[in-house]
Amino acid sequence: MAISEQMGTEAPGAAAVPDRRAGRKPSSPWRILKPVRGQIRLAMAISAGSALSALGVMVSLMLVVSALLERPGTMPWGALGAAALCTVASYAARLGAFNQAHYAAFRLERILRIGLANRLARVSLGYVEAQGAGALAKVIHDDVKALHVFVADSTPLYARAYVTPVVTFALLLLFDWRLALVALAVLALGWGILRGAQRRRRDMVRAYNAAREKVSAAVVEYVQAMPVVRNFDSGQSSFGRYQAALDGYLAVMLDWYRAAGFPARFSWLMLGPMPTLTLVLGAGLWLSAMGDLSVPRWLGVLLACTGMAEAMMPMMMLRHMIEKVGLSVARIEEVMAAPDLDDAEATPGPLAFDPAAPALRFDRVRFSYAPDLPPALDDVSFEVARGSVTALVGPSGAGKTTVARLVPRFWDVTAGKIEIGGHDIRKIGAERLMQQVAFVFQESFLFADTIAANIRIGRPEATEAEVIAAAKAAQAHDFITALPQGYETRAGERGVFLSGGQRQRIAIARALLQDRPLLVLDEATAFADPENEAELIAALSELMRGRTVIMVAHRLATVRDADQILVFERGCIVERGRHAALVAQGGLYAKLWQNYETAQNWSLGAARGGI
Amino acid sequence: MAVIGKQPAGRAGASSFATTFRQLAESVGPEDAPGLRRALFGLIAAAALQGLGLAVIAPLFTAAATPGGLDRALSWFAALLLLMGAASALRWRAQGFDFDGRMVRATWRLRSRLGAKLREIPLEQLQDKRAGEMNAVVLGNVDENLLYALTVLNLVFAAVITPFCAALGLMLFDWRLGLLLLAVFPAIVPLYRWRRPALGRGKRILAQAHQEASADVLEYTQGLAILRAAGRAGEKAARLSQTFEKLEAIQVFGHRKGAKPNILVASVVELGLLAVLMIGVFLVTQGSLAPAALGAVFVIVVRLSEPLSTFILYTAMLEVMEAALERIGTLLAMAPLPQRTPAAMPTRHDIRFDAVSFTHARAETPTIRDFSAVLPEHSLTALVGPSGCGKTTLTRLLLRHFDPQEGAVQIGGLDLRQIPAEQLNDLISVVFQDVYLFNDTVLANIRMGRPDATEAEVRAAAQAAQCLDFIERLPQGWQTPLGEIGGRLSGGERQRISIARALLKDAPIVVLDEPTAALDTESELAVQRALDALVARKTVIVIAHRLSTIVGADQILVIEGGQLVQAGRHAALLDAGGRYARMWAAQGAVKRWSVGQ
Repeated sequence: MAISEQMGTEAPGAAAVPDRRAGRKPSSPWRILKPVRGQIRLAMAISAGSALSALGVMVSLMLVVSALLERPGTMPWGALGAAALCTVASYAARLGAFNQAHYAAFRLERILRIGLANRLARVSLGYVEAQGAGALAKVIHDDVKALHVFVADSTPLYARAYVTPVVTFALLLLFDWRLALVALAVLALGWGILRGAQRRRRDMVRAYNAAREKVSAAVVEYVQAMPVVRNFDSGQSSFGRYQAALDGYLAVMLDWYRAAGFPARFSWLMLGPMPTLTLVLGAGLWLSAMGDLSVPRWLGVLLACTGMAEAMMPMMMLRHMIEKVGLSVARIEEVMAAPDLDDAEATPGPLAFDPAAPALRFDRVRFSYAPDLPPALDDVSFEVARGSVTALVGPSGAGKTTVARLVPRFWDVTAGKIEIGGHDIRKIGAERLMQQVAFVFQESFLFADTIAANIRIGRPEATEAEVIAAAKAAQAHDFITALPQGYETRAGERGVFLSGGQRQRIAIARALLQDRPLLVLDEATAFADPENEAELIAALSELMRGRTVIMVAHRLATVRDADQILVFERGCIVERGRHAALVAQGGLYAKLWQNYETAQNWSLGAARGGI
Repeated sequence: MAVIGKQPAGRAGASSFATTFRQLAESVGPEDAPGLRRALFGLIAAAALQGLGLAVIAPLFTAAATPGGLDRALSWFAALLLLMGAASALRWRAQGFDFDGRMVRATWRLRSRLGAKLREIPLEQLQDKRAGEMNAVVLGNVDENLLYALTVLNLVFAAVITPFCAALGLMLFDWRLGLLLLAVFPAIVPLYRWRRPALGRGKRILAQAHQEASADVLEYTQGLAILRAAGRAGEKAARLSQTFEKLEAIQVFGHRKGAKPNILVASVVELGLLAVLMIGVFLVTQGSLAPAALGAVFVIVVRLSEPLSTFILYTAMLEVMEAALERIGTLLAMAPLPQRTPAAMPTRHDIRFDAVSFTHARAETPTIRDFSAVLPEHSLTALVGPSGCGKTTLTRLLLRHFDPQEGAVQIGGLDLRQIPAEQLNDLISVVFQDVYLFNDTVLANIRMGRPDATEAEVRAAAQAAQCLDFIERLPQGWQTPLGEIGGRLSGGERQRISIARALLKDAPIVVLDEPTAALDTESELAVQRALDALVARKTVIVIAHRLSTIVGADQILVIEGGQLVQAGRHAALLDAGGRYARMWAAQGAVKRWSVGQ
């Protein structure tokens, strides 16, 4: 009778097939409903009312026939009216429950998304970086969206699945206890066998998930790397892995069918309406032949007997989808539980920066990315004088980038402290710290907004003239004005293509507009196309003028004139000083410098001695 | 649509059922198509028998309620048992197609076929962003769409054929009641299909809103550092809140719009029920229908409305399945790039671009215009020019990721279109800027270049590519699986493994696509040595951004806007004072730049 109840999109046969994503332990989806609990309860109550009215329809129909049997010539208006009323009530309540649950679900989505976005505004940026922007976006969008099938589609069904079987059985007992037991026996047989089929379910689900993951990994490798596959592999080894993953998946599926196939098929058959109906008809025939069963009672049982299984089946179908929702809930809860950047120690009120103190000071800083990992930085101490340039150099993985990311508090130190203008950065407060530090990293991010808005994000109240001045100083004005709509051109996916160097210069204009005293640069020129490199460097020089700069550099030529060069190796500072002194010292820096010079002078094919 | 195919209502429906069946049969392959057809007919027959079985309840119950009608009731009960038994047996056998594993095997075969297909379709089509992603999805998800095919069709048949046959059967007992049922239930299907476009519109609006919200969320998380630095994250991210509010509004709107067809169908069912009730009762009061018969009709009607109520759910799944079948069909129909006959293998390895023009499939302007160049055997040619000028497109033309619309690319005087694809791949080694290492051991990743290479040869290649020291430091040495630790290797180390792979392959032509662009200095030196080993005695094409790396090239081709603007050796080009000389001067200035100046 319920047309509009199930709007999910998963196959009903799926009850016999396990769900997909492995890994995390699913959480109970009920907890996540908290913000809209009242409305969901309302929806469930209405749904229960609808289920009761539907049973009322059955009883009224029985009464109609009963009245007609007694007085065939008269319209049984009372019973007819009750049937009509119950039909309309059940229908209206079902729609109402459906709508309430959906509006609650939509509201919950918004509440959760805003909650998650706010959470990310307070956690450490290191957490965001470690989780990955894409993965976090998936949690905010996809995982929240995945709740829909539970919140909107299942909660009314839950109410029905609990109310209908119990009340139906009571009704059946009232009509005829013997036929009630027959109906119950069929149901019990079907359930019993189904339970048996699911005994090995957990192992099966695990095997299935593992096999599936292997297939998707093989697909990704095979499809993404197709140019390499064709050039080197002629498809043999990667295709082999794909094929092997498919074979494994097939084996798991066949095993599943072997183990669960018969019980699933049999219980599916038993829980359908026809066996119950047939048995109740047969038993009723027997009883009425004995003269021990009245027609109206028999009819009442026939009308209601299949309702028990029917009310429960949708839950069976939805079960594995709800388990999947549990995984999404777990991911959402995990992000919601991510620790805040600890601002408890922040000194309230205005903060006076000591002009005599160094602009930046690392004091015996120790840092590990995780408690069980060796320290990425160990006992690092240095000072950066106001207005000076400090370069961080060293082999990859030595800790340079970690230093750069500790300054804007992507992470907090494990031991020791970092000071800006004489204040521990943990006590400055996240917002005030951000007003002190500007950073430009390897790849600069542009929002899908106008170029002007992208620059202005550094200081929203900046005038147009200021934005243009910043763009000019960042050597970006010329290419911006050459764009179709100038400063009003939209950047980003759906907008114009900008080269890495051009994007970087917009980021520099942004930083120029922010005008913050301390500047952190991490490989700011790494992705510049040589075409625009000269402009990029001019822009950087402009940005660095008059600021305290700490920069990570691979191209050593750029740091020849730095006021201080810190040479890192395995998390420690091993050498420090100016270029000339360090080269003369003949240590690690001297070696790096020599390598650099050699690499700079290399030309392809020079070694092969002509043709 | 399968549903309509069985209805007298729509002819178009019949042909689309045939299409779906044909696609389904094609997907399971010739081995299983007959079995699938048998299973489908079994399900249809079972649904029909079940309908007749339901109809039998009417005479059965009427007879049982009539004094002295027990014998007739018993024979009707026997008929019911027979029909039920036959329906169950038919359905059981039909479902065997799923449960005996034939469907799983069929999807397994299909995915193998699709995988093999991907190796031969033109790379341009494979790498087309939209279609490419779809292909991956198809490859990963075919089973999900097809494995449920029979289950879904079974439910659809139960919702459509069973009521139809029940109504027909009931006509034999009482034509008025049968006609009444026939008027109500099967009408639902065309009614639903008539309203379906509204449902589709609602879904499209919603999908669009989700897509936008998803993009905004991603932008928020990607730009979080900047937003926070600007004090515009969290509560202050006004745009994001607006996006979420807008999404909720559209969800509510879409829900209202999308629910309309469902409400319509549901209302028809409920009204139909009430109509049967009223008319039936009227007939009884007129004395032309037994009260027990009316009761039996109630039982039948209640039975029929339940599967109908979930009908919309199944048709939604059916549509998903049809879309997947469509995609699979398209993929299977894609043709590889044409092979010209007679097939031939070049004996020399010089390369010639002969008046080549090329336009990408969806582009409006050509990427390469009238490009001609000769690359002598064993020479080193550098392609330079601004990003997007067409350098990479030229190498992809050489690799035959696509064919030029005009002109020809030749190796050893032979048009590439004459050289069989596998052999062409054997002639060329590529070192890409983005290194791709496979989810296999270090050894397997290098040996991939030449599967029959001995261990000593693999070692020699690794040594020449400067890989030995770091490979031996890996936890399991040569047997270290790169899938697990791939991220722990530096860019330079990954690049050297890919060079070792190319060295082992020892192809006569080498293409280098900015192999040193994203490396730190330390790695750069080692990669440079590895490259020196690779290019010895080969015909080499290198794409270079850093001009100092190609001053020793035999030939430098300066490309701009897809056209050749200058060609020659470094010294000559400098003297000529054109585009190249300007680029060289700009890079020189950069090289000398240092902070604090």
